[in-house]
Amino acid sequence: MADKDEDAIRGTSVEATQIETDLSDETQDFRLLNHLNFLTDTASSSLPKRGEKDFEPNPTEFQADVLSASRQAMHNALAHPRLHNPNTQVIGIYAPEGPAPPPGVNLEDVSKFGGKGLNLHPDACVCVPIPKGQYFKTMGQADRWNRIWLLPEEALFLVERGSLDIRWPTEITGAADGEDAEELSIPMSLQAAYACFIGRGGLTLERYTVFTGLRRTGYAALRAPGWDDTQAESSMDRNQEHVFRYPQRRGAGLVGVLSQVFNWVRDPFCTASTTAGPAVGCGMHRNYVDVYRRLAMIPWYDPSLAAERDPLDTMPPFRVVFHIFKPSTPIKKTALPPPDFRIAVVNTRETTSIPTLEQIGTLLESTPLDPPRGEKMQRMLYMRLRNGYRNVILAVVDQGIVSYLRLADAAFGKEKLYETQAPSSASKRNGNYRNKKR
Amino acid sequence: MDNPTLPIPISYISGRYLLFSIDAVTYLRREHHICGVLIGTLSQLPQQNVFLGLPLELMPEEARLLVDKGVACIVDEAKAHGGMESLAEEDRRQYLRELESQGLHASRLLSDRRDQNREQVLKKLDEKSRAKALKAKEKKEDKDVSSPASEAKEEPLDLVAPEPTTSTPASKNTGRQQAMGVTPATSYPPLPQPNSSQHLPPPEVPLSYPLFAHLSTRGYFLSPGLRFGCQYVAYPGDPLRFHSHFLTVSSEWDEGIDLMGIVNGGRLGTGVKKGFLLGGPQKSRDEAESEAERVESVRTFSIEWAGM
Repeated sequence: MADKDEDAIRGTSVEATQIETDLSDETQDFRLLNHLNFLTDTASSSLPKRGEKDFEPNPTEFQADVLSASRQAMHNALAHPRLHNPNTQVIGIYAPEGPAPPPGVNLEDVSKFGGKGLNLHPDACVCVPIPKGQYFKTMGQADRWNRIWLLPEEALFLVERGSLDIRWPTEITGAADGEDAEELSIPMSLQAAYACFIGRGGLTLERYTVFTGLRRTGYAALRAPGWDDTQAESSMDRNQEHVFRYPQRRGAGLVGVLSQVFNWVRDPFCTASTTAGPAVGCGMHRNYVDVYRRLAMIPWYDPSLAAERDPLDTMPPFRVVFHIFKPSTPIKKTALPPPDFRIAVVNTRETTSIPTLEQIGTLLESTPLDPPRGEKMQRMLYMRLRNGYRNVILAVVDQGIVSYLRLADAAFGKEKLYETQAPSSASKRNGNYRNKKR
Repeated sequence: MDNPTLPIPISYISGRYLLFSIDAVTYLRREHHICGVLIGTLSQLPQQNVFLGLPLELMPEEARLLVDKGVACIVDEAKAHGGMESLAEEDRRQYLRELESQGLHASRLLSDRRDQNREQVLKKLDEKSRAKALKAKEKKEDKDVSSPASEAKEEPLDLVAPEPTTSTPASKNTGRQQAMGVTPATSYPPLPQPNSSQHLPPPEVPLSYPLFAHLSTRGYFLSPGLRFGCQYVAYPGDPLRFHSHFLTVSSEWDEGIDLMGIVNGGRLGTGVKKGFLLGGPQKSRDEAESEAERVESVRTFSIEWAGM
């Protein structure tokens, strides 16, 4: 009897519908990973198909076996060690105090070159003396001694993917001096790397999760000027000033609308007046465009007129913290191209509501104007509206799960439907007099 | 899968709760239905977001539940890693030796596997060439025996193929074995396990904790649910194998609920073939002495869209 039941279950489990296609949306069956041969050839391995799931647990052994196989596969995949081939191993050294010249170089010599003398990001905390490999094209900063300094998120990401071996500095672990020190430096564990790097220089776990999520899929992510949350307080006064000037920035604004009304009243050829008579005015109307134009009395917001704001005027967390570059964008670390996307990171446990209009407004105005361009955009109205004139991406992190939302400043007022040529379907009806006239 | 020693230390890093030990992760999943969210990169497949690796991020609710059960404790990792400074010379050397032996073991495994693969490939090649030669011979025998010159030409082919099987693996195998560098997942060892006086107090939890604990003790697997429009997604079994049944939202007993919220939740849940589960403790934080008391008083309601 039991066998019969099991057969029935086996039968139904295959029928599971596959509606969703986004694999990362749900927990995946790690058994699928077994088909990939990691240690031999990772280049040829492609992603497995979505696993099939059951509706609910039942007391069959078959189900228990499958579950334990899944768990075992997950265990194996997660237990896989991070190994470094001695020939390609890249070693970094943790510098808890931030960038410093190599030992043996006098600090006074260095200070001649201004500032801390190194011209490096003050949050950089891992030094790679002999950089090799492709990762340093989009990560890290080189100093005068050709060493690469990595920011905490960059270092942590490289450790995590098994591409970097970070060592504790000998000052901390206190190894013996001389050549012995090199041999006795202790490799940092993943746990130690998290403990040392998360929380350092404004790097929250949420920001790091977003950073790695994008890096893994090939995007380059670099810190934006708005990275530092603490700069919010210092610019408080300026912030208020901007709030005061707010109405002016809203497109035509109040003044604009009023002047429009005045122009309209003084227009000698216009017989229209809302106080006395129809809004469109009495008289001869020779085409619809004029009529519609007269009817357009409600002021609207023109995003292309809004002035740009300093990124620091925004309110954290609704502030751009990462500039994202597509894999196809060539990146030169010294002369960065404009970013393809701008991302603000929001932690759901700290910010439980959606942003207010003011927060969205300032956030959008802190990004440069990005009007819809290209032949396709010209042609397609809805793509144009969706693209908007400014845009920003919100990465909402809910306990490690990231959802991306794109906010764009759409300009419905700019799309005057009565002025656009009717689509080809209308012109097929040949006898349409109105269309021809236009 | 070894059972870890209890209580399991949960790393508290910059306000978040993380697990780095694979044994702890599997154990908690199997025995306590705690899944967490994997946020790390799998080093063997680093260019995708479908399968992720350690560390495992725990919700404060999950960490709290484990601490209340006495299964886990919270360790301030930044403080604990200050212990690297006071590591004894002896321990350090021993730890490095251990890592080196691990590295050697790994490189031996790798080279073994490489050899196996090579042998397999060569065997295949060998079989192929042998089959070819056999065919050629048969053909020739069929055709004529009167062309000894061509046979002499064919002969070397037969000899060349098997040769590599004897020479290449031998020459590589005896080569020096270098230890692979290893990045361990956890820092224990070399750090000593922190004693109970160094443990942090149980995590602060949001108001929804009682509902979370209530469902968890009834065997549900819960994971963060904002992506699906709720607080927690409740699975009847391990999410590895089962689809979720409920979209869960917690509410305080005296808290007003917007009717539209219920309608939205009900429609959303029904749309994805899940129930919309609304619940919460009957006692507020002022009325109850402890969270445990609140957990006792939880009631739950499931809302489904009948769709007439």
